[in-house]
Amino acid sequence: MAPVRPQSFLSLPAPLRRAVASYSLARAAYAPPLANSTSIRAHSTESSPHNGHAGSSVNETEVSHFNTLASSWWDPHGSSRLLHLMNQHRHPFINRCLSTAPPLPPNHKRKYLDIGCGGGIFAESAARLATTQSVTAVDPTPEVIAVAKRHQRTDPLLMEPGRLTYHNIPIEALPLPTTPADGFDIVSLFEVIEHIQQPAPFLRSILQHLKPGGWLIGSTIARTGTSWFTTKFMAEEVLQMVPRGTHEWSQYIQPHELKSWAAKQPDLEGWQTMGVVYVPGFGWKEVDGSESWGNYFFGVRKKSLEE
Amino acid sequence: MVLASTHPSSLRAARRLLELPPAVRRSFWSTASAAAIERKPEIFDLVCVGGGPAGLSLVSALRSDPATKGLKIALVDGQDLTTSRTPGNEGFSNRCSSLTPASLHFLKEIGAWNNVNNIRTQPYHGMEVWDGVSGSKISFDPVDQTPGLLDSLAELVPGSRFAASKRKYETGDPTTVATICENGNLTAALLQQLKESGGVEILDKTKVESINLGPEPENEEALDLSQWPVLTLPNNRQLAARLLVGADGANSPVRQFADIPSHGWDYGQNGVVATLQLDRSFTADEIRTAYQRFLPTGPIALLPLPGNRASLVWSTTAPFATKLKQLSPPDFIAMVNAAFRLLPIDIDFMLTHHESVSPASELAWRETSTNSKSLGLLNTFPRVAEVQEGSVASFPLRMRHADTYTGHRVALIGDAAHTVHPLAGQGLNLGLADSESLVKSIAYGMETGMDIGSCWCLDGYNADRWAKNNAMLGVVDKLQKLYSVGSGPVVWGRSLGLDLVNKMGPLKGALMGAAAGTK
Repeated sequence: MAPVRPQSFLSLPAPLRRAVASYSLARAAYAPPLANSTSIRAHSTESSPHNGHAGSSVNETEVSHFNTLASSWWDPHGSSRLLHLMNQHRHPFINRCLSTAPPLPPNHKRKYLDIGCGGGIFAESAARLATTQSVTAVDPTPEVIAVAKRHQRTDPLLMEPGRLTYHNIPIEALPLPTTPADGFDIVSLFEVIEHIQQPAPFLRSILQHLKPGGWLIGSTIARTGTSWFTTKFMAEEVLQMVPRGTHEWSQYIQPHELKSWAAKQPDLEGWQTMGVVYVPGFGWKEVDGSESWGNYFFGVRKKSLEE
Repeated sequence: MVLASTHPSSLRAARRLLELPPAVRRSFWSTASAAAIERKPEIFDLVCVGGGPAGLSLVSALRSDPATKGLKIALVDGQDLTTSRTPGNEGFSNRCSSLTPASLHFLKEIGAWNNVNNIRTQPYHGMEVWDGVSGSKISFDPVDQTPGLLDSLAELVPGSRFAASKRKYETGDPTTVATICENGNLTAALLQQLKESGGVEILDKTKVESINLGPEPENEEALDLSQWPVLTLPNNRQLAARLLVGADGANSPVRQFADIPSHGWDYGQNGVVATLQLDRSFTADEIRTAYQRFLPTGPIALLPLPGNRASLVWSTTAPFATKLKQLSPPDFIAMVNAAFRLLPIDIDFMLTHHESVSPASELAWRETSTNSKSLGLLNTFPRVAEVQEGSVASFPLRMRHADTYTGHRVALIGDAAHTVHPLAGQGLNLGLADSESLVKSIAYGMETGMDIGSCWCLDGYNADRWAKNNAMLGVVDKLQKLYSVGSGPVVWGRSLGLDLVNKMGPLKGALMGAAAGTK
C-alpha cells in the first residue's frame, strides 16, 4: 500500500479523500462488495485486512486518516467543504423518503442515530431541526469526536440536554433497543458504507437499531468507470491531488447491488435513491440517473409491525 | 462596583442601600456581586441593530415565514420607534421613497403593506427625464413604445439580452413604475405589524454601548460563546447573537465590529429635500408622472404625492444646498421652478447672487426670454406653488459599498452594506431586496439544520445581493458622473445617448426594468 502523505491528502475534498483512502485493496483482489459472504473483506472499515478486531467495523488505518482530518472539519474553506455542501441535500432526501410512507402522527419528533458521524456535520444539522427529538452520533475515531464535541459547545441549542449525544465507540458497542419501539426513526450512514469491508452483515446488524417503520438512510459512491476516472485516474494519476493508491474503488457499491440486498431482507421495503453531481462553483446538484455512475443517496424502510 | 458608578439611578440605589441595617446591606451586596459574576448574556437567534425600513422588514419577513417564525429575535434601535403617523392628508414628510413593484410585492407578501396608510401613498405611471444642458430627453412612458433599430436586431438574435429585456418590459405591470411612500409611513406599518404579531423583543430608545466577542468558556465542557457577538446595552444587559444583523446605517457599528471595510467616495453634493404644493391638484386615479432634470450641479427630481403635493429631491453642490435652505419660502419656490425651467447658467447666477437679486422676479423675466421647448420642458410640467413649512432639509451624498455583506455570525443589510446616490431612487429598494434575500437564506438554513450564523447559511445571501447591488451602484454612479459635465463632447455624446435610448424600446425597457426593480 502506498504511503499516505497527510498534507496533500488534506487538501482534497472529503468524498475524494474517502475514495482515495480506500484504493489500495483494489489491487489485492476484487469481489463485488455485497455479492456473497466469501468476500475478502472483513467486517471492518480497515484498508488493511489484518488488524480489525473481532466484532467491530473499525479499521485502525481509517481511524488514523480521520485523525489527521479532524482539525479542518469545520473550516469553511477546508477539505470538508464538499461535505458541508452535500449536507444541504440530506434533509430534503430524508423528507422525500418519509413522504412515501404513511404520515407520522402530528408533532412526532424524530430520533436519529448517525453512524460514522465524523466532526458532526449531519448530526448537528439534524439536532437543530424543529422536528427532531434527539440525535445519537457515533464514530470510532477519538479526534473527530473531540472535534465534534468542541464544535457542539459553540451552539447553546445543541447543548440542551439530550438533544445531541456523541459516543466515541464503534456502532457494535452501542446497546440495542430493549423494545422495537425504543429504536430510532432514522439511522443514517453518510459516506460510510464504502469504508466497510463486509457491508452485508454490517447493514444487517445496524437494522436492529431501527424502529419498525423507521428509515435507513445513507449516501455513497457508485463503482463505475466514471468514479474510477474521477477518483483514481484524475485525482491520483493526472492531477496528483492525492497520493497514488489511496482509493479503494473496488469497495464502492452499486445502487443496484444495495437495492437487491434490500429486496432480499424480509423486513425492508420502499427503496429510494437520488443521484447528486458536484458542479464546481455551484455545489451539489441533483441529477436524475446519476446514482448509477456517481455519488448517490439511498433510503429503505423497516416494515411496520402490522405489515 | 455599584457604589463607584456615577449614574444617578445607581447613586440613588447606593443611598438607599446605606439606609439599611449593616447585616441586610451585606447580604444585598453579596448577592449583587454574585449576580455580576454569574451573569451570562441572554441568547438570541437573531439580533437586528437598526429599526429602519431594512431592519424592520427583515424582522417582519422572518416572523411571516413558517420556517423562521420560531426564531428568538431582538431588534435594537437608539431612537423611539413609533407606530404613530400623520393622519389623513395632512402635511407630508420630506423623507419619501419610490417603492418599486418588486419592493411592493415583498411588502405585500409579508403582510406589511396592509398597514400602510394608503391615502398617503402615490403610484406613478411615467418618468420624464431630461438633460438640463442639451434638452434631450428620455420618457419612461410604459404605454408609448416606438420600435427602433435595436428592436428589429433583437428579434433577429434569439435569446439576446435585448430580446430578454424587451420581453420582461412588456410582460411586467405596464401601469405602475413605482409608488411614492413616506419612509415614516412604511416603518410605522412594519412596526405595527411586528407589534401585532408579537414574538419579537423590540428594544427602542436603546443605544448599543458596545459589541464584543463573548467570554471564553469557563471550562472544557462549558458552552463556548467566544466567537459569538455580544451586545452590551444600558443597565449592563447583554445579548449574545447567533446572527447579528447590521441594519444600522451608513456608519454601521456592526460593520465596524465585524471589521468589514467599506469603500467609496463623497460626491461633494448635498441632497436637498422638501415637500411642495403644485399649482394644480390631481385625483387619486389620474395618471401621474415623476420628473427628473439633470443639471451640471446634480439632478433635480419632482415626485408626485397625493392631491397637489409633490416631493422634491435636489442634488446640488454643498454651498448651493446651504443657500437653498436659507431662502424664504417664496424665494425657495422661485428657485425650484427656475431649476426645472431655466438654463443652468441662469440657475447658477440666481443661486450665487440670491442676496442681491430676488429669485421670484429673476425667474419672471428670465423665463419669458427662455425657449423652454429647446430645454426639453414638457407643456404638462406643473408649477410649484408652495413649500410646506419646515420641510426643507439637506444631507450629504455619498457612494459606499462594503467589501462583503457577511462575516462569522454577522450580516449587513441596507445602508450598512451600501450607500447609493439618490438619483435613481434605489436606496430603500436595495435595502428591502437585501432583507428579502437574507430571509430566504435563513429560511433555507432552518430547513436544512444549518447554524444560521455560519457562512454555510449566509454565503447564499452575499452571493445573491453583492454583485447585483454593485452593478446598480456602478450604473447610478456613472450616470451621476456623466451628467455632472456642463458642456462639450460629453454633453453631445450623452444627448445622443439619451435620444438614442429614447428611441430604443428594448433598452429603455431594460433601464426601466432596472429602475423599477422588476425581477
